[in-house]
Amino acid sequence: MLAAGAATAMHGCVDAPRWRRDAVRQTPRSRVAILPAAAYDDRLVEIVLRGLRLFNVPAVGKRVVLKPNFVEHDANGIVNTHPTLVAATIEAFRRMGARQVLVAEGPGHYRDTEHLITATGLHTVLREHRTRYVDLNNDDVRPLPIASHYTPLGHLYLPETLLEADLLVSMPKLKTHHWAGVTLSLKNMFGCIPGAIYGWPKNVLHWAGIHESIVDINSTLPVPRFAIIDGLTGMEGNGPIQGEAKQCGALVFSDDLVAADATAARLMTIDPRGIRYLVEAGRFLGNVAEERIDQLGEPIDRLRQDFRVLPAFRALKRFA
Amino acid sequence: MMRFGEQLVDRQNPDGGWGAQIGRASSTEVTALATLALGRLDSPDARMSAAYGVQWLTTRQHDDGGWPVSARVGEASWSTALAILALDELGREPSAALRGARWLMRQTPRTLGLTVSLLHRFAPGALEVRLNPDLQGWAWTAGAASFIEPTAYALLALKRARRHLPGAAVVQRIEEGERMVYDRMCRHGGWNYGNSTVLEADLWPYADVTALALLALADHRDHEANERSLRTLHGMLQHVSSGLSLAWAVLCFSAYGEDVRPVQGRLAEQYARTGFLDETRAVALGLLALSGGAAAFRV
Repeated sequence: MLAAGAATAMHGCVDAPRWRRDAVRQTPRSRVAILPAAAYDDRLVEIVLRGLRLFNVPAVGKRVVLKPNFVEHDANGIVNTHPTLVAATIEAFRRMGARQVLVAEGPGHYRDTEHLITATGLHTVLREHRTRYVDLNNDDVRPLPIASHYTPLGHLYLPETLLEADLLVSMPKLKTHHWAGVTLSLKNMFGCIPGAIYGWPKNVLHWAGIHESIVDINSTLPVPRFAIIDGLTGMEGNGPIQGEAKQCGALVFSDDLVAADATAARLMTIDPRGIRYLVEAGRFLGNVAEERIDQLGEPIDRLRQDFRVLPAFRALKRFA
Repeated sequence: MMRFGEQLVDRQNPDGGWGAQIGRASSTEVTALATLALGRLDSPDARMSAAYGVQWLTTRQHDDGGWPVSARVGEASWSTALAILALDELGREPSAALRGARWLMRQTPRTLGLTVSLLHRFAPGALEVRLNPDLQGWAWTAGAASFIEPTAYALLALKRARRHLPGAAVVQRIEEGERMVYDRMCRHGGWNYGNSTVLEADLWPYADVTALALLALADHRDHEANERSLRTLHGMLQHVSSGLSLAWAVLCFSAYGEDVRPVQGRLAEQYARTGFLDETRAVALGLLALSGGAAAFRV
């Protein structure tokens, strides 16, 4: 709430690093895969398996935490990561030998977790796949110093469930966002921040700056990460909860969350170089520049869709 | 009802508090609600368990009167109001409750600034959200703005504690908090986390928050907004059957003199079906809802 007005200025052109040396995750080149997916059905298991194998994701014996994006129940099923994709990802990691697969989320607005996960169908998936759900809003926490200093927060309380994971898989929906421009695998990490401490919504982060908080959260999480973006049906316009459905028919995979988000933005015909948190994350957390990203699977142009944005973000469409 | 009580006793941590789920670190919110709920039962086990809960609460209070979210977090928090409610209702440690109430009185949420205030007065259409920025309630945490749920808890606590807090300041603070809650009401009644409209689009209410806000405003039951929100809550319950929302709804309807037996029946059925997904807070609220616990939130 009031985030746009509250956001502090992000100084994207300063020369001095604003992150600790150990926060750097950027590699000279990144890989992103776009795989076509026609429907939310059982075929997704093979598609997810293919995506994970393209990156040789280490799964054997690992504790994997899936972090989908569950915000609020909507009858049309376009706000949240589709439960069928969550089910397919649980199944894929199990087939790859994961020791444990958990699903964890900390919804930003809504405290009634039981209603949210039953009404959205996630509870059925969890029951059928005998998978534990962790409410990150109420998990045990540990304070960690922030590894970059875009916000003045100094430290973040982070859920133990995430800190104990071997791999954290960010599984956002492909959506526009009325404050941040887009909400993808980096913004999805807002849901890792416990509401019991930061509130519903996590208003302290809004005052610290949404873009700045996204960078600080992602620089600080000390867990290997992977992105699987649900782009079968996305959301355009007034996202993340009041936009309209937009078919895209794609899943985006990457072990570089910045590159995944930059590619997903291009898939939405949105210029990632105009999104402040991606620009800053692209300085040390991963790659935004197209020439530094090796494209696997389908070329972007084959599945690209023209996602409508709010007037405040029209500049993001100019490059198209 | 006894099953809920036994569940709560079994879930108590060795330190005397309760966590969000079995095995989790004790939290002020869940400990306060579980202590309140068990304090209503007659069994020796429940009484003993509640006494340990009171002990957990009193030993975790900060010197300044506030309570943190849990022992793992340094800063005092919104859950102070729930600790006050528990101690006040059980008639235990009145000085601790009073120090907590004074801490609540000192909390001032972040304001939206002079520019937003002026825009609200002279060009409200220019604001991204529809609200009166000059009205202050309570925030979830220091450095944040006012939101509905922490404001509702603070109102409940201060309305209980005001008999011990002389002076006009507490009355003014309560009245402003009430005005803030009414200001944030959704167009057709009810409340969500605290915005009725964002970027000219209406947002929808949540059942649990609506019931809680109505409880905090139950001393204004004839207010048109209360009546409208009560109808909205009834409508929402046709689609919501979680333990948390049903329990808050029972407590709310009870405070408004309605027959709560149908919703109590649904609450018990839901527990049998889902176990409230192992959430201790919902079990505690469920016990309060089944044991006439609205008295604990009487204002």
